[in-house]
Amino acid sequence: MVKIFIDERELDVAQGTTILKGAESAGLKIPHLCYHKAFLPEGTCRMCLVEIEGIPKLELACSTQVRDGMKISTKSESVIEARKGVLEFLLAEHPIDCPICDKAGECKLQDYYEEYGSFDSEFKEAKEKRQKRIDIGKNLLHDQERCVLCRRCVRFLAEVTKTEELGVFQRGIHAEVSTFEGIPVDNNYSGNLAEICPVGAITDKDFRFKTRSWFLKSRESICPLCSRGCNIFVESHQGFSRFQLPKRVYRIRTRENQMINGFWICDKGRYDYAYLDQERLDKIVVNNSQDSHSWPEITSLVAGEIGRLYHMKRSAHIGLILQSWLSNEELFLIDKIFRDDINIEKICFLDPPEENADDFLLTAERSPNIRGAKELGFDVQPADWEKFFDDVDLLFVFASPIKNESDAEPLKAALDKIDTTVLFATHNHEINSSFDIVLPMSLIAEKAGSLTNIVGSVQGFYPALDAPGDCKPAWQFLVELANKLALNLGFYNQFSSPASIREVMKKEISFFREEQ
Amino acid sequence: MADKILTKHFGLDNLFKIDAYLKNEGYAAAKKALSEIKPDEILEEVKAANLRGRGGAGFPAGVKWGFVPKDIEKPKYLCVNADEGEPGTFKDRYIMNHNPHLLIEGIIITSYCVGINTAFIYIRGEYEAVALRLEEAISEAYDKGFLGEDILGTGFKLDVYVHRGAGAYICGEETALLESLEGKRGNPRLKPPFPASVGLFGCPTVINNVETISNIPSIILNGAAWFCKVGLPKDGGTRIFGVSGMVKKPGIFELPVGTSLKKIIIEHAGGMKEGKKLKAVIPGGMSAPILTADEIDINMDFDSLVEAKSMLGSAAIIVIDEETSMLDVLRRVTKFYSHESCGQCTPCRIGNSWINKIVKRMAEGGGKKEDLDKIIQLANNMLGKTLCPLGDAAAMPILSIIQKFRDELETYFEN
Amino acid sequence: MSPELTDRTKKKIEEIASRYASKEAALLPVLHLVQREVGFISPQEEKQVAHLLDIKPIKVEEVVTFYTMYSQEVTGKYHVQVCSNLSCSLLGAELLIDHLKDKLGIVEGETTADKKFTLTTVECLGACEQAPCMMINFDYYGNLDKGKIDDILDNLE
Repeated sequence: MVKIFIDERELDVAQGTTILKGAESAGLKIPHLCYHKAFLPEGTCRMCLVEIEGIPKLELACSTQVRDGMKISTKSESVIEARKGVLEFLLAEHPIDCPICDKAGECKLQDYYEEYGSFDSEFKEAKEKRQKRIDIGKNLLHDQERCVLCRRCVRFLAEVTKTEELGVFQRGIHAEVSTFEGIPVDNNYSGNLAEICPVGAITDKDFRFKTRSWFLKSRESICPLCSRGCNIFVESHQGFSRFQLPKRVYRIRTRENQMINGFWICDKGRYDYAYLDQERLDKIVVNNSQDSHSWPEITSLVAGEIGRLYHMKRSAHIGLILQSWLSNEELFLIDKIFRDDINIEKICFLDPPEENADDFLLTAERSPNIRGAKELGFDVQPADWEKFFDDVDLLFVFASPIKNESDAEPLKAALDKIDTTVLFATHNHEINSSFDIVLPMSLIAEKAGSLTNIVGSVQGFYPALDAPGDCKPAWQFLVELANKLALNLGFYNQFSSPASIREVMKKEISFFREEQ
Repeated sequence: MADKILTKHFGLDNLFKIDAYLKNEGYAAAKKALSEIKPDEILEEVKAANLRGRGGAGFPAGVKWGFVPKDIEKPKYLCVNADEGEPGTFKDRYIMNHNPHLLIEGIIITSYCVGINTAFIYIRGEYEAVALRLEEAISEAYDKGFLGEDILGTGFKLDVYVHRGAGAYICGEETALLESLEGKRGNPRLKPPFPASVGLFGCPTVINNVETISNIPSIILNGAAWFCKVGLPKDGGTRIFGVSGMVKKPGIFELPVGTSLKKIIIEHAGGMKEGKKLKAVIPGGMSAPILTADEIDINMDFDSLVEAKSMLGSAAIIVIDEETSMLDVLRRVTKFYSHESCGQCTPCRIGNSWINKIVKRMAEGGGKKEDLDKIIQLANNMLGKTLCPLGDAAAMPILSIIQKFRDELETYFEN
Repeated sequence: MSPELTDRTKKKIEEIASRYASKEAALLPVLHLVQREVGFISPQEEKQVAHLLDIKPIKVEEVVTFYTMYSQEVTGKYHVQVCSNLSCSLLGAELLIDHLKDKLGIVEGETTADKKFTLTTVECLGACEQAPCMMINFDYYGNLDKGKIDDILDNLE
């Protein structure tokens, strides 16, 4: 450890740390544009210059390593002047696009100008004219006038995806970032470019002109579209009182987690979020009628159906089709209620089929909790449907967003022959009408719980959105159902939240006890 | 008659051919070094000679060589900086054209001292004719056993290659030179690490100017003490001063370090052209702060020029006359640096362009007094704040011209 | 569509590449070679060079557009490059540039209709003692005046 002083505040930082990292660890921010934690220091924006006692020239915080006893000033007159200088240079050749730029509200240039600048422009010359609104591939638009040449995008494509679709051409004031021969950015991580661009030079078509960043509420969640469990932010609109918006979620952003996804998320996780808002099932539907029903009513009804068969010793004729979109806690409850208490044997999984993994984050498995299901003792292999549907009186199906027709295939033929069918669904789908009872469930983004990713990391999550309409988290329904069934008096009373379920899981199953 | 080191035999016919070179002490130093002197001893001798870099920065060569780590598994490289882009500078062209073997001999001794087996001469692309001459000379040296495997039977091995640049002043900066040599854009690197530890292809690398290396053979033959006596104790040897501009006899003049600038201009370069009066002098290449006519009574060595708030740089002397507009001079300066900026870092990329735009407007008659103050502020926001010295190389002459010729510049403005 | 580089050139490229620890380092010398053979460096040449040196074409484009000596367009048989830096300007380079513009009927950056001459202004050529000077292709001409320029150009086939 090394002792340094930043603005006269004493800090202990590890040997080999840079001034910038050392400052950040103590909550002190030093402005920077080209520096990004994922890459080696670039040192070209010159925004992070600081004053070090005993050294006549200002030095870069991003690349200068601390030395014992180093006294650093981030607020001296020369540092403030240097920062203003860099800002003035950048703004001189920057188009004042703020009113139409999507980056407004989260733009480093705006932020730093407000904090360190606030001077009038003295640039009386003609700004360089460059290309704007260039489609550089996938969802990305590039504006060369806004570009500050931090090269984060170029470095990302060179070091992370190793695809190098962008380069810097020409030199001096004519230097510009561009593609070669129009060959577009084309990889599964392109969306990260719009995020790491500190200004509005690279923007996302998906977000273009849709809303302003300051209307968005950013909440932590976990991406459920594969079994990597990348950490994300779900950003939803806070809403206007006067009129309704077409959707809640406007974008998904990456959330750093060095154990799981590093600094990035893939384009699938970033862009396939329409399912959060589109075609949601948000009310209880019985026998396809318009009549409204309440949860207590339905819970009693379902408990009644189960109880009836249970007491007739016909548990073997109850079928349960699950999906790995259920959380660890929900699967644990299902295990307890359906396997232990009711003694159901017909349990199988209907997960989306595997697709191609990429060589980085995206897994071939396309649901988030397959590992969790396995650790809870479930067999996730595809079922023998003929055998499964042979003589079923009561069928429960837990379904995540069904996107492909092929996902629903095994079910369609069998449903007519079963007396009572109950679907726990999140979306409106043609197949819903084939079920007697359709119950609206919350999505992972709308509830709390934990998921186990492909390498066995158990990750907790909290609601990032409110559940729409009558949607209920599966764990809550299951606890209420269990209490109604009264087959294991008292056991389910203690479960007021997923956290309380998790506590019991830790006691009972060694896998969930291990430190995550 | 002052000692001539580098241009000693310049008058001879075909000095660039190895036979002629050999007839005039050619490769005697290399022979002596490789067979009689240990590398460590050579290093000490070069340090004692106070041979300062002749490319512009003036860093002591021996000290630089000493930074190369000894026990390291990686190969070491020597890059000879023959980019000669500093406006006003043309001395290295003379050395390489007239006496290429002197450079090659210097390369051999330097490489032997530091433990280098591959050397590149990074020569500016425009010097194609010179590059061909160098390649010829190198080929001759191979033929005679001064290069290649087992040089002079000592077991020392050295390969030398000529590598052409392609038009970029910034590639005269040592780390940009390395980038360019590696086949990339000439973008300077962050220092530390320094090239002596992490240089070409990540290996320890020595980068020295042509003239610097060309002095090595004579230091070996005559010793450090002699070298310091020829020049100054802390700044040994001679400099090849290049004089251009409004003088009668522009050209190169090899003279001891510390020779008076006034003497160089008036005696050696023949003084002002017919009917011209001296107004200003740039003493060390365009990057050196300008001197007024009153300031030319100065000794041309590193320390004296630093004291006068200028620099010796590449010892390229540009003489400006009374009839030349200083606005025009300023215009050439800003045009040059904005054209040559690599564009990597904010202050140099935008600062140089902005200043150039202002000066262009001034030259077209649209200038105002406050423009000068603005340029000063912008130049100060470049000075000491850029990734590489090009920012300083631009800011310093701009600031000095405005500071010393402000009255004249203000006469060009609209009222 | 430019033709492929000759086998001879490809062989020379291989030889040059063998001098360096990485093939990429051969890029600048190789681009000079290619420009000499083809006359310019278009994306076609860039892709060929990239392939021969095991690098991505975009890296070649980055380099070609950085250095002033590489041209992405066809230039005239004689590329007349006049120095416009300080020493040459002191000795009247501007007037000579105007003279050349008149003589050739083009402005800086243009090529004559018969594709014989391209005129550009360049920065310091390193021949200041012969100011004002110019470089035509790779040949230096110094101590110029209007008459000398006329002589030189008129004698170029």
